[in-house]
Amino acid sequence: MSDFILTSEPPLAGFDRRFGDTVLKAPKDLAIVSIALPLGDETKAEKAIKTAFDIALPAMGTSDVTSDKSTTLMRLANDQAFVLFACPTPDAERQIAAKLKGAAYTTDQTDAWCALELSGPLARPALERICMVDLHPDSFAINAIARTVMEHMGAIVARTDADTYLLLSASSSAKSFAHAVELSLENVS
Amino acid sequence: MIINHPLLGPRDAAEFIYLGDAALIDRPDWQAEDAAEQFHAYGYLRDNVAGPMQELWYHEQGDRSWLVVTRDTLTHEITNVELARDVARNRGRSV
Repeated sequence: MSDFILTSEPPLAGFDRRFGDTVLKAPKDLAIVSIALPLGDETKAEKAIKTAFDIALPAMGTSDVTSDKSTTLMRLANDQAFVLFACPTPDAERQIAAKLKGAAYTTDQTDAWCALELSGPLARPALERICMVDLHPDSFAINAIARTVMEHMGAIVARTDADTYLLLSASSSAKSFAHAVELSLENVS
Repeated sequence: MIINHPLLGPRDAAEFIYLGDAALIDRPDWQAEDAAEQFHAYGYLRDNVAGPMQELWYHEQGDRSWLVVTRDTLTHEITNVELARDVARNRGRSV
C-alpha cells in the first residue's frame, strides 16, 4: 500500500487577495448541482423546485436566494438551473436529488467549476475590462446572472450585492481565470 | 456585432457559433420516395444569398440555445432573432 493520502480541495482553495477595499477570494465549500428540466415535464419540475426550496425557479438570466440565505438558484438556460450552497461533503447532488424526488435531472458540477467572489469599489471597473456583458447597474441588477466569456474562458458572472459579484469558470483553467481577474484588478488599482 | 437574444438580451457575437442556412431545420423525410435526392439538396445545395438571410447561430458561451437570426448578408444588419426551437415548432418540426 502506498502512503499517499489524497485530499479533495477546490482548485482555488484559500485564494484571497486585497486591492485596497476590494477583495478577491475563493468561497469555501461551495457546491454546485445542475438541475435540468425534463422535456415535456417542465411544469412538474418547476413545482418540485418550488416545494424543495420554497422559492420559484427564477426567470432566465436571474438568480434567487432561499429565505434562510443558504441556497442560491441560478437560471442559466430555459431548461437548466444551478443550485449553489455550502456543502463540505461530496454528496451535494444526492441532497438535491432527494429534495426534488426525481422531478428533474441532477448532476454534480462542484468539481467542474472554480469560484471567485469579487467585492468592493473596484469590482465593476475590473470586470468591465474583461466581461462583454453590460454590467451597469441599470441593466445588470442585483441577482442578475450571465453566462458569457472572459478572456476567452467560459464564465458565469452573478451580481450578488451592490458591489459584489460571484464568478464561476472552468476548474481546469482556474488559475488562468484567477490571473485574468487579478490582472484586471491591478490595472484599475 | 451584437445579437439580441430573445431570452437574454443583447450579447456579443463572440459568444456564438455560426452554423449556416436555417434551411437545415427542414430535414427531409428519410422514407420519402426521392429521399436520396432530397438529402443531397439538404446536405450540399445552398443559396448564395445577397440580402436578408435566415441563419442558425448557437449560443455556446451562453445558454446553449440555437437561434434563427435574420441577417442582411450585405450590411450585417440583424432584423430578427428567434429561438430555433420556436421556429421549428411553428413548422411542425419539433415537440
